Amino acid sequence: MLALLVEKVAQGHQAVEHASEHSGSGTDFIIHDILARPVIKLPTVLGIDLTITNHVLMMWIVSALLIFMFKYAFRKRQQVPRGLANALEAFVLYLRDDIIVPNLGEAGKQYAPYLLTAFFFILLSNLFGLVPGGATATGNIGVTATLALFTFVMVQLAGIRKKGLVGYLRHFSPPGIPVLLNIIMIPVELISMLTKHFALAIRLFANMIAGHITVLALMSVIFFFRSWLISPFPLALIIFSSLLEILIALIQAYVFTILSAVFIGGSVAEEH
Amino acid sequence: MDLMTPEGGTIFWTAVTFVALLVILTKVGWKPILKMLDERERTIKESLEQAQKARIEAEKTLASQSEILEAARKEAGDIIARARQSAQEAREEIVVKARSEGDKLLQRAKREIELSRDKAIEEIRDLSVDLAMAATQKLIGKTLNKEDHQKIIQESLSELGDLN
Repeated sequence: MLALLVEKVAQGHQAVEHASEHSGSGTDFIIHDILARPVIKLPTVLGIDLTITNHVLMMWIVSALLIFMFKYAFRKRQQVPRGLANALEAFVLYLRDDIIVPNLGEAGKQYAPYLLTAFFFILLSNLFGLVPGGATATGNIGVTATLALFTFVMVQLAGIRKKGLVGYLRHFSPPGIPVLLNIIMIPVELISMLTKHFALAIRLFANMIAGHITVLALMSVIFFFRSWLISPFPLALIIFSSLLEILIALIQAYVFTILSAVFIGGSVAEEH
Repeated sequence: MDLMTPEGGTIFWTAVTFVALLVILTKVGWKPILKMLDERERTIKESLEQAQKARIEAEKTLASQSEILEAARKEAGDIIARARQSAQEAREEIVVKARSEGDKLLQRAKREIELSRDKAIEEIRDLSVDLAMAATQKLIGKTLNKEDHQKIIQESLSELGDLN
């Protein structure tokens, strides 16, 4: 599905490039909008291109906003929270009571900061992608892969911390099976673990770009038809998709957080 | 720049940004907030327990108060009943006393009347004797002797007795 989508986008891109030689309008803005654009050129160090892209910039904006928001809302301790503090607290409370504690139990205290940070970071990144002029950092596979990598690292650390290195490694070979079966079981367990985290990265990334591609594709319908008369229909669908994107922004932040909690919880859980 | 290829630079900056955010938010956000939430939950729990305790206490007090009130009401009723009874008794006593007093007075009055009447009759009798004597003396012109005298008195007395 995704591959198809990407292929289509790429095709569209080429077609538009081709078309734009003749006319000024096209749909190249779709791919242009989704891909990272360099903002500040920086040199390549140790094979890593340190150029600041608009996605990196958005991450910084989101981070700064988050820090400022929490600092501002909780600048003074109050018994009864009001306004922004109350809203943020509702989120924190929900995450703590409905995601972290049910999946991690008492151990959740240690991992709560990571899961809370991930949730708010992803949520704000998703939402900022909807702001005109903004860019969706979570629509960049590099960003989501890094976030999934963090969850992966947290899962491994949590497991090792709880069971010790040996105990944790033993968990890849389920107890009560013939020794020879481990030849199959260990790779299967390893692959299933890697797949989970790989899916975590792809899920967030694909959901975020899918909404944008839909909106932008609908927008290009107007340009393809070159008629104002057609515009109300794509516009109605664009508004609907945009509203849907707000919902998806919330859902994906929630999904990433709850899956991270479930993975960490599975890692610290006693053998089943 | 390819859609499906993670770039080193993006990964690097994401990691740096995310770790920094994690560290800063843990310090300024999560730790104080989670601590505050725990504290508030504890406070609420304690307050609820205290309220529960206070309620039980209040109920106890109320029960004992209503007990006291009931006792007081009963006592008041007793007092009123007793007072009413003693008043009744006193009234009856007073009535009886008054009646006996009245009777006594009446008796005395009767006796006095009787005495006065007797005295009056006596006086009338004496007077009538004197008058009779005087009249007879005038008529006969002489003084009757003692026997005649006596006889006449007896006669007139019997006449008076008939009058009586």
